[in-house]
Amino acid sequence: MRLLSVILAMAALLVTVVQSRILADDLLPADSAVETVIDHYVDELLTADKVEPAAQVDDLNLLRRLMLDLAGRIPTTGEAKQFQEDKSETKRQALVDRLLASPDFAFHHRNELDRELLPQNRGDGEFRKYLLWATQQNRAWNQMFQDMVVGDESDEYQKAAMQFLRTRVGSVDDLTNDTSILFFGVNVSCAQCHDHPLADDWKQDHYFGMQSFLSRTYLTKSKMLAEKFYGDVKFKTTKGVEKQARFMFLNGSVSEEPEKKLSDDERKKLDEEVKKLQKDDKAKPRKPDFSPRSELVKLALNEEGASFFARNIANRIWNRMFGQGIVNPPDQLHSGNPASHPELLNWLARDLRTHGFDLKQLIRGIALSKAYSRSSRWEKDMDPPGDYYFALAQPRILTPRQYSISLFIAARNPPHWEQWTTKPPEDWAKERERLEKRTDSWFRMFEPPTANYQVPVDEALLFSNSSQVRDDLLRDSGERLLGHLKGIDDSSEAIDAAFWAIVSRPPTDVEKLTIGKYLESRSEDRPAAMKQFVWALITGPEVRFNY
Amino acid sequence: MKRPGSIFCGSADHGLSRRAFLGAGAAATAGTFAADMTQLDALKNEAVAGELKKQGKKVILLWLAGGASQFETWDPKPGRPTGGPFRAIQTASTGVQISELLPKMSQHMNKTAIIRSLNTRVGDHGGGAALMETGRKKDPGILYPDLGAVAARELGRADSQVPDYVSMYTSTEGRRKGTSGFLGSRYAPMFLAEKQIPDNMRRLETISELDHKDRSELRSLLSKQFVQGRKSDTLGSHTSAYQRVRGLMASEQLFNIENEPEAVRARYGPRQFAQQCLVARRLVEAGVPFVKVARAWWDSHGQNFETHRELCADLDHAMSTLIEDLDERGLLKDTLIITLAEFGRTPGINASLGRDHFANAWSCSLTGTGIKGGVAYGKTDPDGNTVADGEVGAGQLFATILEALGVDPEKEYFVGSRPIPLADFGCHAVKDVLI
Repeated sequence: MRLLSVILAMAALLVTVVQSRILADDLLPADSAVETVIDHYVDELLTADKVEPAAQVDDLNLLRRLMLDLAGRIPTTGEAKQFQEDKSETKRQALVDRLLASPDFAFHHRNELDRELLPQNRGDGEFRKYLLWATQQNRAWNQMFQDMVVGDESDEYQKAAMQFLRTRVGSVDDLTNDTSILFFGVNVSCAQCHDHPLADDWKQDHYFGMQSFLSRTYLTKSKMLAEKFYGDVKFKTTKGVEKQARFMFLNGSVSEEPEKKLSDDERKKLDEEVKKLQKDDKAKPRKPDFSPRSELVKLALNEEGASFFARNIANRIWNRMFGQGIVNPPDQLHSGNPASHPELLNWLARDLRTHGFDLKQLIRGIALSKAYSRSSRWEKDMDPPGDYYFALAQPRILTPRQYSISLFIAARNPPHWEQWTTKPPEDWAKERERLEKRTDSWFRMFEPPTANYQVPVDEALLFSNSSQVRDDLLRDSGERLLGHLKGIDDSSEAIDAAFWAIVSRPPTDVEKLTIGKYLESRSEDRPAAMKQFVWALITGPEVRFNY
Repeated sequence: MKRPGSIFCGSADHGLSRRAFLGAGAAATAGTFAADMTQLDALKNEAVAGELKKQGKKVILLWLAGGASQFETWDPKPGRPTGGPFRAIQTASTGVQISELLPKMSQHMNKTAIIRSLNTRVGDHGGGAALMETGRKKDPGILYPDLGAVAARELGRADSQVPDYVSMYTSTEGRRKGTSGFLGSRYAPMFLAEKQIPDNMRRLETISELDHKDRSELRSLLSKQFVQGRKSDTLGSHTSAYQRVRGLMASEQLFNIENEPEAVRARYGPRQFAQQCLVARRLVEAGVPFVKVARAWWDSHGQNFETHRELCADLDHAMSTLIEDLDERGLLKDTLIITLAEFGRTPGINASLGRDHFANAWSCSLTGTGIKGGVAYGKTDPDGNTVADGEVGAGQLFATILEALGVDPEKEYFVGSRPIPLADFGCHAVKDVLI
């Protein structure tokens, strides 16, 4: 045990040394393209460790991946065929730019942020409204952070953003933990009861320091977030010594509250003011001279502190698009848990800071990199390399929203989607909004995926035996895929159409032969046979995963 | 260079438990398992011997929702001011007396251990239930799995054709669905409330049996192509979820006690709690590792004695019938029956002749696999106000239950990089009730 701790300490020391060296100035130039930088660093490690990456994916696979990651849905038949036929050398870049500018991106980016930031309150209408407003105008991430933590309650949207705190205000531990994890990538909960066992960086002082920024926050009767005028956080160390927490950010920097001596009478008056606000829904809170939450924002975004904030979001976006962070798990950004590509993470973080925390630019860079477009299939004889090389893509299970919307698109009569190609984007935005609403009841049936997510058998039972699946996906009326297939006499053509609509590609020869044989064997009841075929395809892993 | 992923301390124990954590899903597909060969030397490890020991173990949890009184069940105090009107009776275990409200159970005390010294402190329904379901206090930022989910994870088989966690609770009071917490919905309970058959277990009438079977085969044929060369536990779990469907549908019959011989049904009788115990027996017999049957509502703030006269009769009959039935079938040696609630009831009798919530000195019982029958562990003071000897908390009870099942309570799960032992940190089993 003692030997182990020595080794651990040495490893931590080593990492600290390595990281500080990198932080110096060996990073690639700031004006390089994001995708170039990504491939430079990812390839560098591959070469150093003699790891050969998987091949690049084909056009249709790339299209599906990009659509799911940038638009949150599968392509329609028309979009897939058009991309495949496009012979232009720059079609990938054109597609990425088109998707990032499309209404779909804002909806999808909103859904992703919603899932991360308010996982316990899925589909909170107010918060989603705020997020959509923010993603539609590509609001800077540091601005969004401020909206959520020190937003102005008199502003319609910022008030909605404050749902982030409002839904957690009942527990100061939830406030502390979730704020630290989601904005700074630091799960300090280990340090609540003792100093963090793996990270020398986190002491109880940090946990309770973070807590002190949030402990004065309370909800008024009129559901506004206010801050009390005084109040300290005290805690007991493992040695039993009582300590008073300071307003300490994760990097150790501290805000000092101007000293004020309050008489008992003054305290009583302030307490009464707070009590009144908690009882009377007409009372309006006033901002205290010293606002701990504002201090948190200052320390978190200043020159010294912003590296946590920037590295966290860079790592989270990376994690979203690769299924694995540069630092893994993403809530453990500390020296005991080194990044697979520390220079890359630092470069991306610096790039975000110098470009006003524009997440779209980061997402665009990732989407254009070679690292992003590798196959998820490992066809070599040897074992696949570790995930942290990003040498091959990981099949990522779709989020409940992505899956629900994709199922609805697949199950619809394909020509239905063609009408939008000639209409202005605002019309598509409205249709997309309708799609989101229609899938509201669906997406709640699936649990948001976590690391090592295991698909529950309930999901397979739902798809096998529920009337909901039958009625929403397998009806053969005119506006549905099955209705469309009914009108195609030639089986081969019908099989093609179903594959394009559901898995965005033509069938392979074997698939075509197999399905053709099956349809033939059931020629006495072709509609029933078609239904079973569509079910078999639509419930498959190829639809369930982004691969 | 230190690689990410090796942030754990590097001890072989961690390596093993981490592999086991991923194992259930991984084992589902040969391909994924092969990818995990790096740690095959773990087979030499002792812990793997433990894995064999726990095979085939099952749990039936009889949950006395609302909080049963220890005075009227396992820890009677006749003649004391707190004792109430009921007598204590001798049992099949010399020296151990229980309340006269449990006459049939008194004959099975040689197979049952009582713990009379629970001190769990949490005395509200929600908090108490959460504590006794998960064996630990709530913690911000982390959702703990309940005992059923842990058992499903530890005792279930990835490719099982039966459910691995079934929970029955028909009452509307204090209904709790159970939670698989960070283990994820793969281990969430199949929950039966209004209906006696789980959702989506039955084929819709609009599709023929043949079509249902055909399309499932067609699906697995198409999926096989896709899965090839793609290694992921999540992907593997998707495949195995669909592979389990038809087996699970066949297990629908397990929920139907009409399939039992008349004599067996007569033995359990017409009351719902006993009938659900019969379903539980059918389920564990078919290999379901964890079944919870909840009986409500024991929350006797008023008329405690009348309430217990009625509910204890129900419990006495159902529990003793279940023990006999399991024993005769040779299942008791592998099945653990736990009788537990969120807390017990106050020694003081209030003005409405009721007893209120009390978590400082109360009882539970354990019967069957791994348990030393006839033991009454721990002691309360003469009036039952405090624990006088052998205090047991929720974490120790959990460690005891796990050890009885052959599961190492110190085995760790990892949530991110945070190690979470199965039983709460530093909690050890009560060896005196274990064989």
